[in-house]
Amino acid sequence: MIGTGVKKGTAELAILSVLENGPLHGYEMARRIEEQTKGALCFSLAALYPMLYRMEQRRWIRGSWETSSNGRRRRCYRLTPAGRKKLSPLRDEWSELFAALRRLAKVSNA
Amino acid sequence: MPDWQQIVSGKLSGIALEPDEKSQVLEELAGHLEEDYQSLLSQGISDERAIQRALKRVDDWQVLKQTIESARKKENPMPKRVTQFWLPAFLTLLLSMVFLAVIQRFGPNPWVTPASGGRLRMTPVAVVYVSWLLLLPLIGALGAYMSRRAGGSARAVFLSIVFPILPYLAFFLIGLPVALILDDHVAHNITIPAFFVGLSAWVIFPAAALLAGGWPVHFFALRRLISSRSAGS
Repeated sequence: MIGTGVKKGTAELAILSVLENGPLHGYEMARRIEEQTKGALCFSLAALYPMLYRMEQRRWIRGSWETSSNGRRRRCYRLTPAGRKKLSPLRDEWSELFAALRRLAKVSNA
Repeated sequence: MPDWQQIVSGKLSGIALEPDEKSQVLEELAGHLEEDYQSLLSQGISDERAIQRALKRVDDWQVLKQTIESARKKENPMPKRVTQFWLPAFLTLLLSMVFLAVIQRFGPNPWVTPASGGRLRMTPVAVVYVSWLLLLPLIGALGAYMSRRAGGSARAVFLSIVFPILPYLAFFLIGLPVALILDDHVAHNITIPAFFVGLSAWVIFPAAALLAGGWPVHFFALRRLISSRSAGS
């Protein structure tokens, strides 16, 4: 499992990436991130929501209340144009970092 | 089934957020824990263990409380009090003063009671700018709209609406009594009816005009907010 420090840095990219495919509520977002990273990235409630609120303040994502078919109210987050714009340079930064790490430490599959 | 809203509310008691914001955060976190709990139950885990495991998703509730507080506040470019109260309040004050100055300079003339030719020369004199009073509901509505849009509470909205009359109120409640005590030239002209007529002309009527415009806007915005929430917008 990836450590907390590294995870914090990747959280923005992870959240923006899962929201790229459509709006999600917090629980579903955490589940998808865990599923798609095969459990390597696992966001606790305490890590996820402050990050979501911070990203909402930066206007990268927008939350709105929605009622599901079973009548449960959930706050769904969707990517804003600013968030979509942010995603591309963020991806570039991370791939540059991975490439640099590969070169430096000869880490395979980074 | 446990009341997750109550559990989260107890764990995060005293979280320093606006009431509206707080209830949204509590509902969202409670919803997350409830989904987690339901998912654990569907995996065949017992009720008690499912509750325990769901609660274990948060290591330290105090830390969560602090991080949510800082996440909600840290990057706000303008403090909430400014957008919810000071900005609309000063805008309503500025507009009301500008309109009053324009009316005083260019007309129409105020309604003066009693008229200079009236019989009751000793009764109190009030200068009522009727055209100004007619404009005040619009200014009140603007103040209410700005405050409500920024998420202002009923108190912030109310104070933003009536802010333009607060200087006059201060004059009647503080300035005038002090002047009466200290200055004979003021004192000999003031009678109790004059005080109330002046108070009506500069405080009560303008406040009523401001509220007539602002308060319906507040309720309309509040109703829209409630209906949009219940509709799940």
